[in-house]
Amino acid sequence: MVLNEAAKRLGVSLRQTEDQLTRDMLAATASFINCTAGVNGDNPTEITRTDVDTVVRALLNNDAYTILDNIEGDDKFGTAPIRDAYFALASTQLSGNLDGVAGFVHKNQYPSPKDALRSEWGSIGNLRFLLSSVGSMTGSGSNLGANVYNIFCVGMEAFACIEQDGYSAQFIYRPPIYDGPLALNCSVGYKFAEVPRITNDLWVINLRATLA
Amino acid sequence: MAYNTCINQGYFTSDGTDKIIAVRSDVDWVKVVNLTNIAGATQWAGTEWYWQRGMADGDAVTNYHAAGTQAISTSTCAVGYNGVTYRGIYLMDSSTNPVGAIDATITAVSNATPPVATLTSTATLQPGEIVRMINVTGAQQLGGMDFTVGVGTFTGTTFSLDYMSTIVAGTVGSWRRIAYDPLYYPRKRFISAISAAASAVVKLTVTHGYTVGQKVRFRVPAAYGMVEMNNLVGTITAISTANNTVTVDINSTAFTAFAFPLTAAVPFSHAIMSPVGEASEAVTGKISLDDSVYNTGYIGFKLGTSATAAIALGSAGGSNGDAIKWLAGKSFNL
Repeated sequence: MVLNEAAKRLGVSLRQTEDQLTRDMLAATASFINCTAGVNGDNPTEITRTDVDTVVRALLNNDAYTILDNIEGDDKFGTAPIRDAYFALASTQLSGNLDGVAGFVHKNQYPSPKDALRSEWGSIGNLRFLLSSVGSMTGSGSNLGANVYNIFCVGMEAFACIEQDGYSAQFIYRPPIYDGPLALNCSVGYKFAEVPRITNDLWVINLRATLA
Repeated sequence: MAYNTCINQGYFTSDGTDKIIAVRSDVDWVKVVNLTNIAGATQWAGTEWYWQRGMADGDAVTNYHAAGTQAISTSTCAVGYNGVTYRGIYLMDSSTNPVGAIDATITAVSNATPPVATLTSTATLQPGEIVRMINVTGAQQLGGMDFTVGVGTFTGTTFSLDYMSTIVAGTVGSWRRIAYDPLYYPRKRFISAISAAASAVVKLTVTHGYTVGQKVRFRVPAAYGMVEMNNLVGTITAISTANNTVTVDINSTAFTAFAFPLTAAVPFSHAIMSPVGEASEAVTGKISLDDSVYNTGYIGFKLGTSATAAIALGSAGGSNGDAIKWLAGKSFNL
C-alpha cells in the first residue's frame, strides 16, 4: 500500500522533472519575440492581442501545424467557437493579464468545455494557453527590472523528449535486507535518461511578456 | 547507511580566478587548505578555510599568518583581518538561475567602445561575470540585456560592457549579477553587432561558448536595420574569444547596415542568435547535435578569490600558482 502510493508520487515527480528540464531547454535556446504593443512602459510590455497575432503570424509563415482542432460553435449562451490552435505554455502568473486581452475566451465559454485540457486557461486567436505554476520566468529580465514571463508558443512536433537507448525511466525499489547491513531502511526512487530538444526551431517561438 | 555520507576530495593549482568544483552530492561542509601559504611565512596569507551549512554564502572560518611567521591566527572571511574582508566558500546549483541583489548606484554609462559603467562599488562582482542592465536613463536599449563585464575595464567603481557596441551615453541606472548561464548548452545570445562582409562576423554580448561547425539561426528585427539577416541559418566557420565573435558562412555585404537601436526605440524585440539543427560528420558518420541538448547543470561549491592581490592572499580560491587541496562531505544531521 505504502509502496503503491510512493510509486504514484514518484511518477508525478518524474514527469514534473521532465517538464522542468524541457522548460529550461526551451528557455535556453528558443528564439523569442518581445511583446511590444502594451502600455506598461516596459520592454517587453504586457501581452496584447497585437502581440498574439504577431506570434501566430510568425508560426503560420513558418508552416507550423496547429496542435488542436477547432471547437465547433454551439447554440449555448455565452459561448464562442474556438479556432484550431497552437499551444502557448506559460506561467500561472499571467492568468489575470490573459483575461484582459482582446478576444480572450475562457475555457468555461467553450462550446464544449470538456474539450479543454485541465491546465488550460483559455484561448486568444489561434493560441490556447496552458498554465503551470512552474512556467518559465526570467527574473528581472525586463528593461525596468520586472520579471519576464516566457510564453512558449509551439506548433505540432516542434520539440520532443528523446529517450536514451535502453535507459528510459526506471522505478527502483530495494527492500531493507538489500539496502543496509542492519536491514533498517528501504530505498525507493526513479531515474531516467532523456534529452529534450527542439525538432524544428521555426515552430517554437518564445513570446516574452511582463505583467500589466 | 551509505547514503548522504558522501565524501569528496581533490586538489588543484589556482589560476587566480574563482574555482568552481562540481561534486556528485550536495555538500554540507567544505574544508580547504592552501599548501603554498602553509609552507610559506607571508603575513596575511590564508592557510585554511572551513564552511558548513548555516554559515553565510561566501563566508568561512579561516586560519592565517598574522605576522611574517608560521604562527596561526583565526578569523572569518566576513569579519576579515588587516582591514580587508575575504572571499570564502559559496554553494553552487546551476539548475537554478538566481539573479543577484539589485544595485541602483550606476551614475553613468559612457559612449566609449565598449561602454563603461560607473557605479559606487564593484565589490560584489568579478571580471568576466554576467550582469543584467536595468533601466539606464538615456540608454534604455540596454535594459533587460545580459553582458559579460569587466574583461577590458574593471576598477573599484567601473566595469566595461565588454562586447557591446558604442551607444549614446546614459546616466543613472541599475544592474544585477547573473549567477549562472541557462541550463542547456549552446545558448541563444544577444547580438550587439553584425558586420557587412563576405562572411558575416557576429558579436555577442555574453561570452558565447560556440565552436566552429555549429549551426545557428539569426533573429534580427526591423529595429536593427539588417532585416535581410532575419531567419537565416549559418554555419560557424571561425570564432574569436578575444572579441567574442563568431564568423558565419553568410554573405552580408549587400545587407542593410546593422545598427543597434537607440534609447527611444524601446520597446523592441532583441536581435539574437540561436543554436539549431544537427550535422553528420562525413568521415565518422557520427551525428552531432548543434542545438541546446547538453544539460550543463551541476551542484557543488565555489572557492572565491580576487584580482586584487591582497584579497586573493586570504581568499579560499588562492593566488595564481597556489597548491590547494579541498575536502567536502555530507552530514547525517544538520
